[in-house]
Amino acid sequence: MATTTPTRDAYVPPPRRPQKEKPSERRQLWRSRLWRFDDKASPYAYIAPFFLVFGAFGLYPLLYTGWIALHRVSMTGLDSMEWVGWENFDKILHDPEFWTSVSNTFLIGVISTVPQLLMALGIAHLLNYRLRASTFWRTIILTPYATSVASAALVFALVFRADGGLLNWTLGLVGFDPVNWANGHWTSKLAISVIVIWRWTGYNALIYLAAMQAVPNDLYEAASLDGASRWQQFLKVTIPSLRPTILFTIVISTIGSMQLFGEPLLLEGGTLGATGGNENQYETLSIYLYNYGWNLGHLGPAAAVAWAMLALLLLIAAVNWLIGRAVRTSDSAVRRGATR
Amino acid sequence: MRITRSGAGRRRRTAIVATTGLTVTALLLTGCGGSSDSGSKGADADGNITLTVADFGQFGYKEAGLFEKYHELNPKITVKEDTTAEEKNYYPKLLQQLNSGSGLADVHGIEVGRIKEIADTKADSFADLSKVIDVNEWVSWKAKQATAPSGAVIGAGTDIGPMSLCYNRELFEKAGLPTDRAEVAKRTAGGWEDYLALGEEYKKKAPAGTYFMDSASAMFNAVVSSSPEQYYDASGKPVYKESASVQKGWDLAAEAASKKLTQGLAQFEDQWQAALRKSTVATVVCPAWMAGQISTYAGDANKGKWDITSAPGATAANWGGSFLAVPKSGKNVEEAAKLVKWLTAPEQQAAVFKAIGVFPSNQGAYELPDVKSATLPYFNDAPIGQIYADGAKSIPEAVLGPKDGVIKDSISTQINNMEQRGTEPDAAWDAAVRTVDKAIG
Amino acid sequence: MTLTSPTPTAPVKRAPTPKNTGPTRPSRFRMGAGQQMKGGPFAYLTLAVVGFGSLLPLYWTLVAASRTQDEVLASTPPFLPGGRLLENVATAWEQANLGKAIVNSVIVSSSITAATLFFCTLAGYAFAKMRFRGRGWLMTAVIATLTIPPQLSVVPLFMMMSGLGWGGQLESVIFPTLVSAFGVFFMRQYLIEALPYELIEAAKIDGANNFRIVVSVVLPVARPAMMVLGMLTFVQAWNDFFWPYLALNQQNPTLQVALGQLSASYTPDQSIVMAGALISTLPLLVVFVVFGKKIVGGIMSGAVKG
Repeated sequence: MATTTPTRDAYVPPPRRPQKEKPSERRQLWRSRLWRFDDKASPYAYIAPFFLVFGAFGLYPLLYTGWIALHRVSMTGLDSMEWVGWENFDKILHDPEFWTSVSNTFLIGVISTVPQLLMALGIAHLLNYRLRASTFWRTIILTPYATSVASAALVFALVFRADGGLLNWTLGLVGFDPVNWANGHWTSKLAISVIVIWRWTGYNALIYLAAMQAVPNDLYEAASLDGASRWQQFLKVTIPSLRPTILFTIVISTIGSMQLFGEPLLLEGGTLGATGGNENQYETLSIYLYNYGWNLGHLGPAAAVAWAMLALLLLIAAVNWLIGRAVRTSDSAVRRGATR
Repeated sequence: MRITRSGAGRRRRTAIVATTGLTVTALLLTGCGGSSDSGSKGADADGNITLTVADFGQFGYKEAGLFEKYHELNPKITVKEDTTAEEKNYYPKLLQQLNSGSGLADVHGIEVGRIKEIADTKADSFADLSKVIDVNEWVSWKAKQATAPSGAVIGAGTDIGPMSLCYNRELFEKAGLPTDRAEVAKRTAGGWEDYLALGEEYKKKAPAGTYFMDSASAMFNAVVSSSPEQYYDASGKPVYKESASVQKGWDLAAEAASKKLTQGLAQFEDQWQAALRKSTVATVVCPAWMAGQISTYAGDANKGKWDITSAPGATAANWGGSFLAVPKSGKNVEEAAKLVKWLTAPEQQAAVFKAIGVFPSNQGAYELPDVKSATLPYFNDAPIGQIYADGAKSIPEAVLGPKDGVIKDSISTQINNMEQRGTEPDAAWDAAVRTVDKAIG
Repeated sequence: MTLTSPTPTAPVKRAPTPKNTGPTRPSRFRMGAGQQMKGGPFAYLTLAVVGFGSLLPLYWTLVAASRTQDEVLASTPPFLPGGRLLENVATAWEQANLGKAIVNSVIVSSSITAATLFFCTLAGYAFAKMRFRGRGWLMTAVIATLTIPPQLSVVPLFMMMSGLGWGGQLESVIFPTLVSAFGVFFMRQYLIEALPYELIEAAKIDGANNFRIVVSVVLPVARPAMMVLGMLTFVQAWNDFFWPYLALNQQNPTLQVALGQLSASYTPDQSIVMAGALISTLPLLVVFVVFGKKIVGGIMSGAVKG
């Protein structure tokens, strides 16, 4: 829709600067110039704050990170930067702990995202029924989202404790021996995933619910005319219609799991948290960065880790784009099939 | 459709009122805000000053009631203590505060493993205490450790950590070991190898679920700290890979781990504290300041069950000990320095020693009866004055390095892995070297 | 123009206003499959289990915060709150500087929310309803920034803040999050639907200049979306952990930082830590109970976790 610059004549704007009396025609011309300038410049003025703040605290630091990554900077002397070239990258790429944290991040990402989204789908499907007190259910399921990372991690640290933990007590009732959750390579990752799943499942369920409610009904009608059962309708109609949303939640959860920090940090607290366990068994990339920069006090390698994270993100984005393209083409095929 | 502005205006006002309301409520909740500040304020209208002392572990001032006493002596000054349980978590935060130049307390505790790094890199941030305090009062090496290249003394020594051995009499008795101090000392007179042998004897008849020692890393630290050459050489080069004392300490720790003589607890952490509470460890290697930790965490229920004897072997060692430093950024630097001078004076150090057994670094204190004939009631009235005083004077002057603290912590973590997870000594050592090299940069 | 965004928006087809949460009100959406069906006992049972799982950790926080550590870690844990809540809160308050932390959290979250609302509504309006050169790729740039995690810039941010003299100050936490790409995107999506061009035209004919249009036309229309965005932003700012944890210290913390410090360094006493967790969670829980409906609606109208 095209907007035309309207002529304004019924209104005399408050003069922006003291003006001398001029012949009315010239004043008219002057004013319309002002209007035009107003129309041209305003949008830029409105979006400027975002780009200024992002430039100063987002883009500039991002590039500066790359510069720091090529230097030796120590926590004990932030003012002195010493050029070391690629040494920091070399350091982290040859550090087994770095690769441990890459694989930990990836594994925790998978075992927290997949069950979380599947459960969210199921819950959304249930919430999509006509329910009594539907708002009540939705709010309850969203409550974990109101809990901060720190609180959630601390409560679950108490649940997963080796001695006196709630979970081990429960297992004990069933007759299992207590498990030292934070100590095991798999159990600790599982514990962290549980925290993530607990916090985000309800949130994603609501997003799916919104998408489900937007699915046009005639699709279902057509499907039931074709004799599809409810389950088949769910598979053949609901899921394909939700595809973009599912893809979207996958992307968001992936970015989220790249950033896991509070959960591992507070799982055992103190120094063990800061190194992701005594064998780095649940060390994520963020923890690795934090430990290198803020505990060991070397900001150069920490900056290099940040760039490694960026590279990983771009890789994920590329994969995501490829999948997205595949989904879009098959989507349009499905749609063509559905409307035939 | 005309939209008047009054609606929007009213709403905006409502929002502002709501926000203000929230803030005011929060302020009311905290009791007039401001007062819960870091205390680095100048004097208020009446000339009253609050000084904040940030420290870690146990400095014993609270236990000895020194801050109240100071307030009695100087009614205009109130001292607040801000304590972090573990030094490992305290130091990174201190560096962060130094970097940002904010959030610093008026007085900061600094551990001996960090003092070199601070003196080398951050001396400008601290007041030179040699102008206020006579540094010759301390044992000579203590003052040297806190001296910056410029000659400024940035920290006043609080305590030193001469070694002893704390043991649980009750468990010793159950395991059929001697409980008398002199007897126990005799059994370990030959050094740490004897100590391990005693451990094996303990293990034979140990009460179920108990261990001879809490953590082999404590023994490692004791061995290393009894040697003048530790992690760095005199020129400031890290030599921890070749250092004889590190090697010896590591081998002993690995032996203790493989023989399952230790419960393998990370010291000071939650589970370590629980072990003291439940009395599942029979011995703890005890630098002077450790006694306070034990009495705190083992609790009143275990009073009198513990005892203290001299450390294995005949070497004097110093593990730990701290300094008090005054950041220049404070608003009451002068008053803070006076407080530090008072806290580290012989009488006060003696009072702290009496309270929790932290041994004075100020030589003037050694002649005081409170130190000379001190006993700790919690530890079966162990004559700690006598146990520590001999050792304190013969402690070798250790060469410190900037990353001592990190090196110690990294190696301790790996010793812990050997104990807890049965990690092979070589693999654990490699992991320790990796972490340490990362820390050294 | 069509926007080629790397992330599809959720949901795909959106109703103009997020008012689909009335329990009995017929939905504005056309009925989905499930909606014709009444929920059976199985649905209620499953939801009850999920709800129980959602609330249990919060209940456990309350139980643990009102007991002693020994009771919490006993071989048979307690299941009812005890009577030590106030003592534990007092200890946590003393140790972790919670009073100051609450004030700081309110200041930080309010400033961030206010700034985000103002700037994002302006930018969202510009992207939704104004024509200017470069609109398309600028919007793409905004969306691209969504995917940049804060981890990437913490090192230089930390150095910058020290340089600016903001180290450890609230400014260091407030300024980097004054605007949010999600906010711009959210307001734009809403205004495209909700703000008819006719209104703008009418105001222009009345001779309003652009800023007057914003004040008297755009803001009133955008109000429902601003409420939602405000709440989401507040929740996020309140719960933010990573950067504040690096930037602030216990002398001047936000609640989350104080909580992190409390557990990671001050006291290993779990019941006191839980008391701190309770204090930091309670305000938001209250907000959720009061505005639950609105927040649910807001998220369902396409929220993103940031």
